[in-house]
Amino acid sequence: METARAFLRHPSGMIGLLLLLVVVVVAITAPIVFPVSPWEMVGAPFTPPGEDGLWLGGDTLGRDVAAGVAYGARVSLLIGIASALAAMAIGVVIGAISGYFGGKVDLVLMRMTELFQTIPAFVLAILLVATFNPSLLTIILTIGAVSWPPLARLTRAEFLRLRHREFVEAALCQGERTWRIVLGHILPNAISPILVVTSLTVATAILLESALSFMGLGDPNLMSWGFMIGAGRTVIRNAWWMSVFPGLAILVTVLAINLFGEGLSDVLNPRVSRRRS
Amino acid sequence: MSDAMQSSAPVLAVDDLSIALPKGGDRPFAVENVSFEIKPNEVVCLVGESGSGKSMIAHAVLQLLPRGVDIVSGTVTVAGQNPSKLDGRGLRNLRGGNAAMIFQEPLSSLNPLKRVGKQIEEMILAHQRPVPSMAEVRARVQILLTQVGLPNPLLLEKSYPFELSGGQRQRVMIAMAMANRPALLIADEPTTALDVTTQRQILRLIDDLRRERGMGVLLITHDFGVVADVADRVVVLRHGKVVEQGAASEVLRNPQAAYTRELIDAVPKARLADIHETIVRPEPLLEVVGLQKTFRVKRGWLQPPREVVAADGISLTLHEGETLAVVGESGSGKSTLGRMIMRLTEPDAGAIRFGGADLRQLRGEALRQARRQLQIVFQDPFASLDPRQKVGDAIARGPMAYGTSRSEAMAQARKLLVRVGLSETTADRYPHEFSGGQRQRICIARALALKPRVLIADEAVSALDVSVQAQVLALLAELRQEMRLAMIFITHDLRIAAEIADRVIVLQKGRIVEEGTTAAVFTAPRQAYTRDLLDAIPGRDFFDQPGFAAAAETARIDSGIDAV
Repeated sequence: METARAFLRHPSGMIGLLLLLVVVVVAITAPIVFPVSPWEMVGAPFTPPGEDGLWLGGDTLGRDVAAGVAYGARVSLLIGIASALAAMAIGVVIGAISGYFGGKVDLVLMRMTELFQTIPAFVLAILLVATFNPSLLTIILTIGAVSWPPLARLTRAEFLRLRHREFVEAALCQGERTWRIVLGHILPNAISPILVVTSLTVATAILLESALSFMGLGDPNLMSWGFMIGAGRTVIRNAWWMSVFPGLAILVTVLAINLFGEGLSDVLNPRVSRRRS
Repeated sequence: MSDAMQSSAPVLAVDDLSIALPKGGDRPFAVENVSFEIKPNEVVCLVGESGSGKSMIAHAVLQLLPRGVDIVSGTVTVAGQNPSKLDGRGLRNLRGGNAAMIFQEPLSSLNPLKRVGKQIEEMILAHQRPVPSMAEVRARVQILLTQVGLPNPLLLEKSYPFELSGGQRQRVMIAMAMANRPALLIADEPTTALDVTTQRQILRLIDDLRRERGMGVLLITHDFGVVADVADRVVVLRHGKVVEQGAASEVLRNPQAAYTRELIDAVPKARLADIHETIVRPEPLLEVVGLQKTFRVKRGWLQPPREVVAADGISLTLHEGETLAVVGESGSGKSTLGRMIMRLTEPDAGAIRFGGADLRQLRGEALRQARRQLQIVFQDPFASLDPRQKVGDAIARGPMAYGTSRSEAMAQARKLLVRVGLSETTADRYPHEFSGGQRQRICIARALALKPRVLIADEAVSALDVSVQAQVLALLAELRQEMRLAMIFITHDLRIAAEIADRVIVLQKGRIVEEGTTAAVFTAPRQAYTRDLLDAIPGRDFFDQPGFAAAAETARIDSGIDAV
């Protein structure tokens, strides 16, 4: 509760949250505002913004850009959040095992993490998506699979810090089982920075998805921002609106998530001073 | 003492000082209408429990108050100057020049990345004008290091702080403070983080330097034992107000305020406990045989690893209902011993026999079952409770882990909380709402929830104020009678060991150097090391004699002669 109240007083964090809410509302209301599928041709090709009832214009085939941006928000948010959660799941499990057990387990897991870190994330993502057929699930898993190393390292560091704290040892002496110590004592005390990094991972995941779609490696059944930019790219000089509006949508969403994540980090970080002065 | 009386202008005068706390604190003022003076060559002790505002006064003297905490009335005069009227430059000249300060934790007050010699040089270079030549400065550093009693100053100045022991670090801090011949030395709990023998050496050193240089010393402490050893005058603080002040011998012998009386009575007097009606059974409950542990600290890749022997063939036995004190200086391996018995640290060799099995051979579930019978209370009550877990849960978790139902475990937790002197409603609150003493009571309740047969108290009262210490010790003594607990009481403070233990083991560098009943060890120590430890008890000379009032004066003089 205290954290929520502190967040309400955080100016840039609140701006991020409000922007994010706008994006979420657009995504939720897309089928109501635009009952026609974004793949449907509703006007003449190359309709400029404002004409023919197309607020943001039409694309090369006469599809509604506004509908595309609205439906794209659903795809971007879904993929961004789902793949960040996937990355968190992988990262926290690997980091927790590594940090808690240490020794050889730690050595093996960390070398593996480094292996993933040395390969450029985007190249690996292209490779993975191209190998498996691009679909919603494979894209989410792919982005999750290239985004977990920072989360694993962070979780490991937090676990190392907390592992030998006296309250953890006290729990061990109380006879609590390993999984209870990890889930009940260490993880709750390590969760704040993990949540912050996960929220920022959502933003990079959205960017990664857009980049994959731009390259034509997105799910062909889903209207996504990256795909729209990719499709409008060749005609950008005479029909700017086809790339600019989806581009703005990416900018606003990623900015909103970053502001929100930083606000979260500011609010969660100054740990309640537990020592008296 | 006599030369302190005849001296001239005070080096520190605090006049009607009030310091306001930010709004929403537990009280409006950190300190209120405090006045006192320190003359040259005089040691004034500022005594009070934590939260009494004693550190605030020290910080106000050097304008080091935290943001939002301000002096609202009254003045501070240091060597004729008012620090709050000085500009940045004047203030810099004052700090470390005319008035120097040393802190409680010497490790965090030294720069970990700089050699200690450099850090002392810096102090001299920052203050001496004209700037002396490097050769002069180096010579001065050597002299300072020698003066503070550090062995081999040539080698030592090239050390990094982490390579030194706690006592050596505090000596380096003192050397830095002395570098510019200050008129006033402020020492904020300078020995609280050190063990008794080092404490005595540091206090003596401060006292010697004070005599040599005729500086005034403001010593902040919560321990009347320390007051009895070094103070000329005492100022007793409570909740930011002066309760009593006067000549040390006068206040100690004849305290006017009831609160001062309480604080003096709370000092553990190293009086032997008279509750030894232990029925020694032939079968020991816990038997430790030949425990070995060496820590290897890796250094650079060409240097051999540094080896620290924490246990070198330690053997001991513990019977039901018996309290065994393990005493020694820091680094003697006493905490490691407790942790090895709890299986928190893996010994290199040896056996720990308990309940017919060797704990060292147990793994997994068998170890978990055995641990139930052995419980530990840690030193730091702030680190040993999960900040995100309610107190009731913290206590109930243990029994629940062994199959007790939640409702039953919670009911039991509430009962235990009442037993350790807290209220039932405590169970629904978080640890940060409690003071150190209360937290330690919670930790004791947590340990006892499993109905252990052996309780290990690892410096369980060392982090507490003297007055709170006495209460927690009394609680432990009651509980062990009530529950027939066998207790291993690990402490560096022999006063406490004497009050609670039946038998004492003295550890030095991982070896048992002396072992015996408390009475035997305290009245007729066989080893020089034990005698040193006993002599180091602060205020021993003062408090030891029956009817200590009359003997006080001679004790002061004795310690004075020793120090010179």
